[in-house]
Amino acid sequence: MADTRKSEANTESATALRDVVKIVRLDEEAAAGNAVFYKNSDFLALRAKIENENGEREEKTWDRVFLHRAFPFDDPYRYISVLDKDQNEIGIIGDLRNIEPEIRKLLEEELERKYYTPEIKAIKQVKERYGFSYWKVETDIGPLQFTVQDTYRSILRVTPTRIFIVDMNGNRYEVPDLEALDRKSYRLIELYL
Amino acid sequence: MQSREELIKRFVELDKTVQHDDVIVALPFDLPPDSEKQLVDGLVGFTKEKIKVYRDGTLAAEYSMADVKEIKCVPGIGCTTLEILTGDEQEILLCRSNMSLNLLYATLAKRLNRYLESGVFDSSYEEEVDIYCPKCHRPYSPGSNVCPHCADKKQYLKRVWEIAKPYKGYIIVSVVMYFVISALNLLGPYFNRILVDDYIKADQMPKFAGFLSVIGCIFGVSVLSRILTILRSLTMVEASNRVIVKLRSMVFNKIEMLSLKRVSKRTAGELINRITGDTETLQNFITYQLGDIVQQLLVFVSISVLLFIYDWRLALMILLPVPFIMVAYRLFWRFIHKRFHKQWTLSAKSNSVLHDIFSGIRVVKAFGMEKAEMERYDKATADERDISIANERTFALIFPVIGFFMGVGEFFLLYYVGSKILGGTMTLGEMQQFSSYVSIIYGPLSWMANFPRRLVRVMTSIIKIFDIIDEKVDVADKENAIDLKIEGHISIEDISFGYDESKDVLRHVSLEIKPGEFIGIVGKSGVGKSTLINLVMRLYDVDDGCIKIDGHDIRDISQESLRSQIGVVLQETFLFSGTIYENIVYAKPDATREEVITAAKLAGAHQFIMKLPDAYNTKVGERGYTLSGGERQRVAIARALLHDPKILILDEATSALDTETEKQIQDALQRLAKNRTTLAIAHRLSTLRNATRLVVLDKGTVAEVGTHDELMKNKNGIYYGLVMAQRQMSRMAPGVTKVSESA
Repeated sequence: MADTRKSEANTESATALRDVVKIVRLDEEAAAGNAVFYKNSDFLALRAKIENENGEREEKTWDRVFLHRAFPFDDPYRYISVLDKDQNEIGIIGDLRNIEPEIRKLLEEELERKYYTPEIKAIKQVKERYGFSYWKVETDIGPLQFTVQDTYRSILRVTPTRIFIVDMNGNRYEVPDLEALDRKSYRLIELYL
Repeated sequence: MQSREELIKRFVELDKTVQHDDVIVALPFDLPPDSEKQLVDGLVGFTKEKIKVYRDGTLAAEYSMADVKEIKCVPGIGCTTLEILTGDEQEILLCRSNMSLNLLYATLAKRLNRYLESGVFDSSYEEEVDIYCPKCHRPYSPGSNVCPHCADKKQYLKRVWEIAKPYKGYIIVSVVMYFVISALNLLGPYFNRILVDDYIKADQMPKFAGFLSVIGCIFGVSVLSRILTILRSLTMVEASNRVIVKLRSMVFNKIEMLSLKRVSKRTAGELINRITGDTETLQNFITYQLGDIVQQLLVFVSISVLLFIYDWRLALMILLPVPFIMVAYRLFWRFIHKRFHKQWTLSAKSNSVLHDIFSGIRVVKAFGMEKAEMERYDKATADERDISIANERTFALIFPVIGFFMGVGEFFLLYYVGSKILGGTMTLGEMQQFSSYVSIIYGPLSWMANFPRRLVRVMTSIIKIFDIIDEKVDVADKENAIDLKIEGHISIEDISFGYDESKDVLRHVSLEIKPGEFIGIVGKSGVGKSTLINLVMRLYDVDDGCIKIDGHDIRDISQESLRSQIGVVLQETFLFSGTIYENIVYAKPDATREEVITAAKLAGAHQFIMKLPDAYNTKVGERGYTLSGGERQRVAIARALLHDPKILILDEATSALDTETEKQIQDALQRLAKNRTTLAIAHRLSTLRNATRLVVLDKGTVAEVGTHDELMKNKNGIYYGLVMAQRQMSRMAPGVTKVSESA
């Protein structure tokens, strides 16, 4: 009972918020034929007829747009912000699945290009010296070596079994499932979990 | 990372059409331009005419240098890209790489843009982008340029010795005491043997006096050894404290000398750690471990020698298991270390949960989340409990077992010695002496197993300490720096500046400020307003151009004379622990009480100070009375006014005050402003109503300069836009007067 009431209240307040702040849902606009993403030389461009500040629909072209994930770790293909050159938000793609496959592929490629995260298949060696840890791993793009500083704080635990390691340069490596690692790999990483 | 020369060579090998000298720079990349997940071997070469992109040995793209308008480094997440903008506004992706090249890309983009402007390429970037030791290719510690792996460790130990030298008397005395103590330790079992063999188990009735004197000897040895141990500890503590205090003040003085640029490269925590933590590690090492190693080694060697002289077979039997014990000990240590670390992490986690809840207790209560937080804490402590129970269990099981195996040698010894006694070749006393030696000799062993680890730790600390001490002072006074009596004429001549290599915060800024002017600096957040005043104070040195005060480059003026004539009130007002009076009088310790009160009155602080029970004697800062943001600002303004500077800098100095109080202070400042140059930053534009001129910064450059009226005439101007936005804001919400946006 209590839960239903709570969720009702939540929906209500969400509606109230939506009346005040308008989010431009570019996936919905695209489905309605008001927004088209296309490739402009190497990058992504957008032509859209969306509401401006005065609430009027106006067709505009952005020669280059940037994508930024709102939830890069736990929801990478939903809530993607579309930004212009000055990093102002044009709108949000609520869910990539709402976009037709061809254009979706374009968007996914753009995301993959910006978010580069090799997946760790196995850990070969972890050595610790003078405050750094030196890692040798096997990834989906081949063997890699990297150095992590302040190891405990550089391992982000997204779920109990899914982690990201951030190295000293800002590169990210994902272990999608800790339990799928072989015994030796797990033993090497266990100390830092 | 390969050097510039190596990369250029590689590029020339790939591209036969270019001459070595025509190549400006070449840089590597390892990711394809599209999203495909694979590694590539790529090289981009910039020549005077062309940009050529080679991927896996073949030419992938080629652009004309003449078409390039700008080169940009656009970092992604986990990777980075270099892009060019052509003359006809087209953007092209040049190359993409993992993040380790980001600093190189950013730096080179900046330098190449300068090259496009001026035709000169500054190739002196390598040291700045290289964060790896050239010898072992391992990264330096953050904010350091010394590789802990390759540093000449002997050199550092020698320098520690240089510092310790004045106290060598202490050290010699304590070393001598170590020898004596070790010798005494060996004497104990010897007297025991005499006691047993000659008196207790003697064949004929011994003399009672002799018996007493042996007991006396044992007693004396024991007392003497204790006394010496105490004395030795005292001497060592004395010596090490003196050395450490000296080291600490060396590090502290050095940090204070360093420019803000160097200091802010490190966090406050890191700096504090260098002064206290690292020196403490060294202190502990000198006080306890250095002495211990001497003593333990002495004991070990002398007992071994004694044993060998007496019976080499016996000695071998005791010493043979030594390597095994060492190995076993190390393995054991690694095992418990892992487990304990985990327990420690979990305990830290549950502590931080607690810290989190208590610091946010108002939020927790306001949202009625007590129960949820309770569960969160329960879970954290439950995790900790589980691992600690598991650990205790393992311990209870493993310790006795390990102890047993470590003692196995003694069983053999018992057998060997026992059979000798039965055979009549050894006396009971001798056996006792032997068992004592054996139990003594196992002591240093476990200790020595851990020594390498301790040594590494102390070496790391030593290197970190000297890393600071050796750092070059970059904003230093020139030898012939002058003491200048400042009039207040500031001219900023075409300056450029960036906090790091990758991005210029200010670009080609020029400004002429006459003495007595009140200059208001406005602009959006992050356009470089605070940076500009930091440069005027010379907290940083400009990269290009120069700043002159009264016609003298500020780099020629001694920092002491410069800063003693500049008064600053910053947005984040910092009050030291102490009384309000002490805080105001900070910059002018010889001020009279009346001067202090006058300054406080001018700053609008007197009123609220007098409402406090202890008035000017109220303690503030940590553990003191908590002043509100506005009160703190007023104290800081009083501090700056008492200082009576020729140049007054206000960086959002009145942002936390209500408009009325602000107006009062502004008017007071206005009256004071004669003969005083004032630079003020404010988001709330009404703060600057008294300004003689306003400077609008945008994207690191001066966009507009003029009086309020002049600037308002340009309806498309930035200032006009800012004023309109604020007017609209105050119309929308009449109650809100503060435009809170930090600089």
